Amino acid sequence: MRSVKVALAGGLTVLLLTIGLTLLGSPLSVARTNRPPGRPEEPIATANSSASYCQDAETLPRATSAIRVWLDAVAGPRVTLGVYSRGRRVTSGAHGSGWVGGSVTVPVKPLDRTVYDVTVCISFVVQDETVTLQGTNEPKRLWIEYLRPGRQTWASLAGTIAYHMGLGRAAPGTWIVFLAIALVVAVSMLTSRLLIRELP
Amino acid sequence: MSRWGGVSARALVGERKPARVSGRLRLAGRLARPAAGATAALRRVPRAAWVCALVAILNAICWSIITPPFQTPDEPSHFAYVKQLAETGGPPTSGSGALSHEEKVVLDALHAPQVSLRPQNRTLASAAEERTLEGALAPRNASRGSPAAGNAAGEPPLYYALEAIPYELARGGTLLDRLQLMRLLSALFAGLTALFTFLFVREALPRTAWAWTVGALAVALAPLLGFMSGSVNPDSLLFAVSAASFYVLARAFRRGFDMPAALAIGGVSAVGLLTKLNFVGLIPGILLALAVLAVRTLRASGRLPYRALALALGIGAIPVLAYAAVSTFSDSPTVGVVSSAAGSAHRSLVSELVYVWQLFLPRLPGMANDFPGLFTARQLWFDGYVGLYGWLDTPFPGWIETLALAPAGAILLLCARSLLRARATLRHRIGELFVYAALILGLLLTIGIDSYHAFPAIDAEYAQVRYLLPLLPLLGAILALAARGAGRRWGPAVGVLIVLLFLAHDVFSQLQVVARFYG
Repeated sequence: MRSVKVALAGGLTVLLLTIGLTLLGSPLSVARTNRPPGRPEEPIATANSSASYCQDAETLPRATSAIRVWLDAVAGPRVTLGVYSRGRRVTSGAHGSGWVGGSVTVPVKPLDRTVYDVTVCISFVVQDETVTLQGTNEPKRLWIEYLRPGRQTWASLAGTIAYHMGLGRAAPGTWIVFLAIALVVAVSMLTSRLLIRELP
Repeated sequence: MSRWGGVSARALVGERKPARVSGRLRLAGRLARPAAGATAALRRVPRAAWVCALVAILNAICWSIITPPFQTPDEPSHFAYVKQLAETGGPPTSGSGALSHEEKVVLDALHAPQVSLRPQNRTLASAAEERTLEGALAPRNASRGSPAAGNAAGEPPLYYALEAIPYELARGGTLLDRLQLMRLLSALFAGLTALFTFLFVREALPRTAWAWTVGALAVALAPLLGFMSGSVNPDSLLFAVSAASFYVLARAFRRGFDMPAALAIGGVSAVGLLTKLNFVGLIPGILLALAVLAVRTLRASGRLPYRALALALGIGAIPVLAYAAVSTFSDSPTVGVVSSAAGSAHRSLVSELVYVWQLFLPRLPGMANDFPGLFTARQLWFDGYVGLYGWLDTPFPGWIETLALAPAGAILLLCARSLLRARATLRHRIGELFVYAALILGLLLTIGIDSYHAFPAIDAEYAQVRYLLPLLPLLGAILALAARGAGRRWGPAVGVLIVLLFLAHDVFSQLQVVARFYG
């Protein structure tokens, strides 16, 4: 029984610490985008075999830690991305296969300065399945977003997030957040009590 | 006889007609006996099992609150099915996406089409958007049913008929009131899943009582169970019925194949077939189980249990006969979908089997490569289990999927250790193990063959982990075995850590969904 209590106390402590550390982190925010607000994406190219696509005249903002490109696939292939300045690669990254949806976010190594007039190249290997590149046709541009950690932490955004959570509900209001928290606490307490009661 | 049985019998008795009293009493007694039996059976369920069920229900309710309306796979279509059934009394007749005006204006006001599959877009963020939604929810937009229910149109009606009850209860409210109440009913099915998982693990591993709680509690906290059961989707009932199937089979293997066991096996099979077509994947395993059980009974008693077999098969066949009747007398899409799936193979059987193999397992030498650059077991199934919420558009960062390999590997090693230690016992239960393997294989084949119909245009259309959740009771058993594999001294502590791992996974999955939709 003692080992059960120690494991439970230790495990819950680690869980709470991890939640705390997560809340002290910052969500990624858009540092730069070429996506016109409110405009629906259009297919600009499709590929059903190995393909590469490069787009010049881009700007890589300082501290960019991920680049989101608008690719659409059902079970997306592995995507590699490189950012080039005057023929030299300044940063790169890759996203594993199996992603779904209309965009893929590739983590890249952040730089401590903004680099202008760069070329962003993506490449992937597919066989049979179709990958669609999406963006704007006039002029033809793949939509690219540069993401970096925001200045605010998750904890400082809690009020805004709670407000958003309260919208679009059967009974709108931030009370719903407190109900969700109460349910998580209830689940955790019931779980802990049952473990102490049932495990020798 | 239970107290209630006695009361009802007395109520039926007429004081002035003693000659007929005894007959009525006998009838009442006969009617009361199954009810009393059920009450007694419920009383025998351990308290821990009920707590596991409660944990699963509360967790699913939490998911139902966190997940924005219609941001779970196919929820608009499943809602449309219920709306049509509740308001017109008939099932939808079209698989098109032309939903009712009422549902469509609410979906638009919620920006649902712009949010789903586009992780960069969030849900409502301003009071102005909320006011637009309130306008869309106004009674003037109400419409009566819709014959179209998208890809839900071909599903059997049981789940939707049950969901029509909360739909009717909230009829006076807005569409979102009805949706939330329907989600709460789905959450109850998560409780049944956890309950039957507990009972299955108890039958499968009868000697280690504390491990039952580990297996069932971990399943109750599985985030994907909470996510799916917190939405309007027949998968929630399918998971519960599948868990019940595992339980009744394990119980028959342990306690014998008698008439009540046959009734239970046939009953859950019928309910499963009326719930979702995916249950077909478990049928070969259930038939194998009946064969193994019959042979075992023959060996033990020298008599083949004809009556029990006929009862199980007869009850289980009722939905099949009903489908056949519907097919004969109407143009119902239910049977149309099944027959079109069965008859749409477009390449050879060998290439189909090669595809199904690679959908789940690494390619063998000599096989054509159907998934270049994709390690399906890892990237489709494992990463998908670690976390893929919303319309499969809300994953964890890649490093978490890699990190998750460590505890998963440790659990598998501990489970293997436990199985090795129990190999002598396993030899005696080889028939039962073959049945579980057949249940797994049947489900995988169903997913694989269905996915093959869209291949090569779509690599893996049904490669979604939720389709594997009918096997949750086996996950519960694996986790219980893993805890037991740590030995007598450390087993309970490892069991605690396994449950806490699932709790942490659940909490962080919920935070991930909150960040994606509201951040």
